[in-house]
Amino acid sequence: MAEEKIVIDLEGINKSFPAVKALDDVSLSVKSGEVRGLVGENGAGKSTLIKIITGAYTKDSGKMIFEGSEITRNSPLISKALGIYAVYQDVMVTPDLSVAENFFLGQQPKIGPFINWRKMYKESKDFLDEIGLDINVHRNIKELSIAESEMITIAKALWQRPKLVIFDEPTAVLTRNETQILFRIIKELKKKGAAIIYISHNLDEVFDICDTVTVLKDGATVGTYLTEELENVDKLIPLMVGRSIEEMYHKKDTEPGKELLRVENLSGDRFENVSFNVKAGEVVGLFGLVGAGRTEIARALFGVDNLKDGRIFVEGSRVSIKNPKDALVNGIGYLPEDRRKQGIFLQQDIDFNINIINFDKAMAGPLINYRKAHIQARDYVDKLSIKIGSIFQKVSELSGGNQQKVIIARWLCKNTDVLIFDEPTVGIDVGTKSEIYKLFGEILASGKGIVLISSYLPELMGMSDRIYVISNGKMAAEVQKKDFSEEHLLTLAMKNLVSKEKIKEAV
Amino acid sequence: MAGKRDRKAFTERNLLIILVVMWVFLAIATGGNFSSWANITNLIRQSSINGVVAIGMTLIIITGGIDLSVGSIVGLSGMVYAIFTSTRGEFQFPTYVGILIALGISALVGLINAVAVHDGKVPAFIATLGMMTLVRGVVMYISSGRMVTGVPTEYRQFAVAEFLGIPALAWTWIVLAAIMIFVLKYTKFGRNLYAIGSNEEAARLSGINIRRNMYSFYIVAAVFSAIAGLMLGTRMAAGVPTGGNGYELDAIASVVIGGASLSGGVGTVLGTAMGALIIQTIRNGGNLLGVDPFIMQIVIGAIIILAVFFDQFVKSRKKGEGMKKLFKRA
Repeated sequence: MAEEKIVIDLEGINKSFPAVKALDDVSLSVKSGEVRGLVGENGAGKSTLIKIITGAYTKDSGKMIFEGSEITRNSPLISKALGIYAVYQDVMVTPDLSVAENFFLGQQPKIGPFINWRKMYKESKDFLDEIGLDINVHRNIKELSIAESEMITIAKALWQRPKLVIFDEPTAVLTRNETQILFRIIKELKKKGAAIIYISHNLDEVFDICDTVTVLKDGATVGTYLTEELENVDKLIPLMVGRSIEEMYHKKDTEPGKELLRVENLSGDRFENVSFNVKAGEVVGLFGLVGAGRTEIARALFGVDNLKDGRIFVEGSRVSIKNPKDALVNGIGYLPEDRRKQGIFLQQDIDFNINIINFDKAMAGPLINYRKAHIQARDYVDKLSIKIGSIFQKVSELSGGNQQKVIIARWLCKNTDVLIFDEPTVGIDVGTKSEIYKLFGEILASGKGIVLISSYLPELMGMSDRIYVISNGKMAAEVQKKDFSEEHLLTLAMKNLVSKEKIKEAV
Repeated sequence: MAGKRDRKAFTERNLLIILVVMWVFLAIATGGNFSSWANITNLIRQSSINGVVAIGMTLIIITGGIDLSVGSIVGLSGMVYAIFTSTRGEFQFPTYVGILIALGISALVGLINAVAVHDGKVPAFIATLGMMTLVRGVVMYISSGRMVTGVPTEYRQFAVAEFLGIPALAWTWIVLAAIMIFVLKYTKFGRNLYAIGSNEEAARLSGINIRRNMYSFYIVAAVFSAIAGLMLGTRMAAGVPTGGNGYELDAIASVVIGGASLSGGVGTVLGTAMGALIIQTIRNGGNLLGVDPFIMQIVIGAIIILAVFFDQFVKSRKKGEGMKKLFKRA
């Protein structure tokens, strides 16, 4: 690799925002054909660094050298023209246009003044075939699943034959299969001599795909390491946070208490005949492949989607849940999967976001007693050590991890007996993850029960007392802690996927 | 606490500064005519009908919707009242019955709007555009396109009544605005409005009954327009078939100048009230200065655009990206 040329070279980059120093003398250079992992907690400066590379931010000082020449003026347009592409978490495609149109946006092939549709569809289809994606190029992006449109975004970046590609949390919404396809694409890029910067909170992935990894902490470079030399994740985490992996999962074995919730033979649109129970002091995991019906079960149980059939018992007595309000009355809470779309009130302040379901506890007759409301919001901000200036700050100013904590604060304050956490740590840094796990312990200690839905097996196995495996909408098995293993759980999760067609449908 | 006041009152404070600057300028430019008690009470009275319509519009715009039918509802309510109470008509109901019928029918229109928007998934713009035309048609039909006179005396007298030297119409606006400022801040109903406007899905998952709330918002908006229709009726001393024509535009302008965001979740009744005052101040002041009314229209149009432009500019500057962002977009 030594003879390969350096594609991007950053030297002593500094960047300050009014309140904080975001980057402190950061240097980074990536060679052609190299996949560089970039890791660090939220707020470590990864996003700022990327934005400086793509020209969305201007650096205060330092040098950026791209393919041997210094870039003094940068902007998203300039960096794009140079061949720098960033695939962001937020999908950047036009939803109302077809896949093919999205590829050719702004550069449609023409016959005279008219668009050559045939050529457009053919070339985009050939390209998708080449990288191994089976998606109909005639379909509009909005008809695709989140994962499919994410793959299209990535494909679109490759379409431009880039020299440097930046992946920012690309796998958050991808299934294992799609992650494999993505990795294949990355290897393809590598072969073609592109330099790649890969950002992910999923450190296992970083080890899978990256040659080298740069660790950022509090805006400064901790160091750059060969992944081979680091060997495994256990050695990387301490560099990022100064904390070892054993400390990550705080789950203590607890003696389960009385049964809080039991569901029998629940059936809905995407699942049938599902039964399980949750006891006090217990974390019950729900595992399944993406599309297996885990989230659908949770939503139906919480009264968002309709149940076709089944019985729900809260502390032994049968209840009817027709809407989220019924669920709340019966002591069931739900932290949704997609916090931006389903959890956060972005234009409002932290106080509002915590109190919106908790004003009940701060009423004076029909009126809200804001003194009480502010006190309870501050209480939970402190309890969760959410780092904020004041509870009257807009949540849009907080990092993803802190936003998630605000939603957790909302639900802890609500104090429901059973809390369903749907993918609570997606896109959240290691430090915050660990704090969220620690909170689980406190919730359990107060006699509550938790249902944990997660696609990340180490987390699910680390935190759960029992795991129910859902396969293709049906309950495949209940697995006790002593029998937890990735292979076992995955096999169970695929149990009901008999034919290849069905596998395709489910993932 | 201080942080909160600064932030929330940000737009309101700017609006107040704009108002004060305009008032001082006009007071000097008109040699004190503008600042006379008579003119100031007149200004508030002139703002009051639009002001009341705009309160309802504020609610709808906070939900992320829009209500174009408010102007027609103003006409409907005034006409319905006149038809049922006119001493020359066939019903000759007492005033309070006429008011109740006018408010009731308007509330029904609001309910239909809500059903179309919430249950029918018709975009608010389209649903209320249709309703605007439909209701105006109803007003024309039931009145045969003619004015309906002979309304009760007490109704007519309301337009000239005063309390503590301030016109009753102005009081109506002030009281209704004060009530709604309070309701939006201190009741769960008000908080639910902001929750639904900022993120409907998250609101649903918080156990908020979206349907019931959306119905309430559209009904409240229609009832406020109906009250404005009655206020207009007292001034006209009749049911006027074209009454309230185009009022939706002034209402939307007041709300937008008042700092609300058409994408929902942001806006205050106080801001809207100041927006309504700003629009009326320009009209009133221009009038006193003898400015061509057509020029006034150009100025008001420009102010609407500038108000939003300025608001966006200040917001993006606070994020530290400022001018750059603005010009990049252009």
